[in-house]
Amino acid sequence: MDGIHDLGGKQGYGPVAVDHSGHVQLDHWEARMWAIAQTCKASDWTGDWWRHITERIDPAVYLNIPYFEKWMLTYSTGFITSDLCSTDEVIAGHPKTLVPPPSAQSVADVLETVRTGGRAAGWTAPSGPIFDIGQNVHTKVDIDADHTRLPAYARGRTGQIIAHHGPVPLPDLNAKGITQPEHLYTVVFTARTLWGAAGSDIDTVRLDLWESYLDVS
Amino acid sequence: MQALTKFDGSEAALVHRHLHSHMPSDPALRVKALESLVVERGMVASETLDAWVEAYSEHIGPKRGAHVVARAWLDTSYRVRLLEDASEAIKEFGFEGHATGDLVAVANSDKAHNMVVCTLCSCYPFSILGMSPAWYKSSEYRARAVREPRQVLQEFGVDLPADTAVHVWDSTALQRYIVIPERPAGTDGWDENQLAAIVTRNSMIGTQRMLSLGPV
Repeated sequence: MDGIHDLGGKQGYGPVAVDHSGHVQLDHWEARMWAIAQTCKASDWTGDWWRHITERIDPAVYLNIPYFEKWMLTYSTGFITSDLCSTDEVIAGHPKTLVPPPSAQSVADVLETVRTGGRAAGWTAPSGPIFDIGQNVHTKVDIDADHTRLPAYARGRTGQIIAHHGPVPLPDLNAKGITQPEHLYTVVFTARTLWGAAGSDIDTVRLDLWESYLDVS
Repeated sequence: MQALTKFDGSEAALVHRHLHSHMPSDPALRVKALESLVVERGMVASETLDAWVEAYSEHIGPKRGAHVVARAWLDTSYRVRLLEDASEAIKEFGFEGHATGDLVAVANSDKAHNMVVCTLCSCYPFSILGMSPAWYKSSEYRARAVREPRQVLQEFGVDLPADTAVHVWDSTALQRYIVIPERPAGTDGWDENQLAAIVTRNSMIGTQRMLSLGPV
């Protein structure tokens, strides 16, 4: 969907609040929300469904609340729509029935969970890849999906394939709980192609795009 | 947690609106209530939440990425491995993991400057850079980085020559990006720890270009 989250290239935003520090220390409530997000979810959630819940925050609210408050709304809404909690329980901040907690993880456990948590499954696609590295491709204009990873600014543009990453579940379907791997590529677009005369002729933007988003140029 | 998710975005939108208008306005109170709920509901132990907070406040941060960069400067064969398959190369440090299963390292040169953004949400290579800075997640950066990267870089104090190309990487899939900045002059003979100490978080996101040697 063409939601408020699709910010790339939107104009009218002011200067970036530059910060040159290093290790980020979150506020207490932000860190607690981060930790809840790492540990609490429904067994059938997908990353794309989780992203789509965030995309469904009311647009005026999305732009105006702190980052981790969006996470709070996303997880609360996710718990309710997966029937893990009721709306009343979320608003009350307590469940109707107490359930004993699972065994606790230590910091060492968490570090090991992080270390082993990154590698995606070895997916296979029924066919393809259709495109070769070096080939020009044209991005689709119309995307008929609640959730997609083809940003509005890169639709209907011609770019060139510069890398092939193999099959990865298509986000548009993964957000619906359907796992359908297809080939993923990195596509480079010149700034001139994306932004017209205002774009530099030597600068580029590179996006990782699925086969469904691309046509032969 | 067992559940049967309906994956209904319209339902989620309705729930969002209901929650937003029925919860206290202070986000800290909202999160406190959510934490009570998930703990009392048996979804997680409170001590586990403490452990996750400590892992990212004390152990996982940009020092990890800085060591990867320093090794790439010192060891040409490591640099080659890193640029070919960064996910594999960071395993030599035990830094693989969370959100970096498909890590891609991109190197700056005198003709090219790399810069990373996630315009659609806030994807970030957590396991080697830790928590992301507020500006990275801001609407301003997400909107402008792809369209006017040179102006954004200027706000960070980076003044690029006209003939140095900017390559902006929009993290739209599983790939996460780390920029390998150029090694500054005056660091001959430095070891990995000395070099890692001058590699900044922003230089690995691509909003800093020249590294300073620090207080002499």
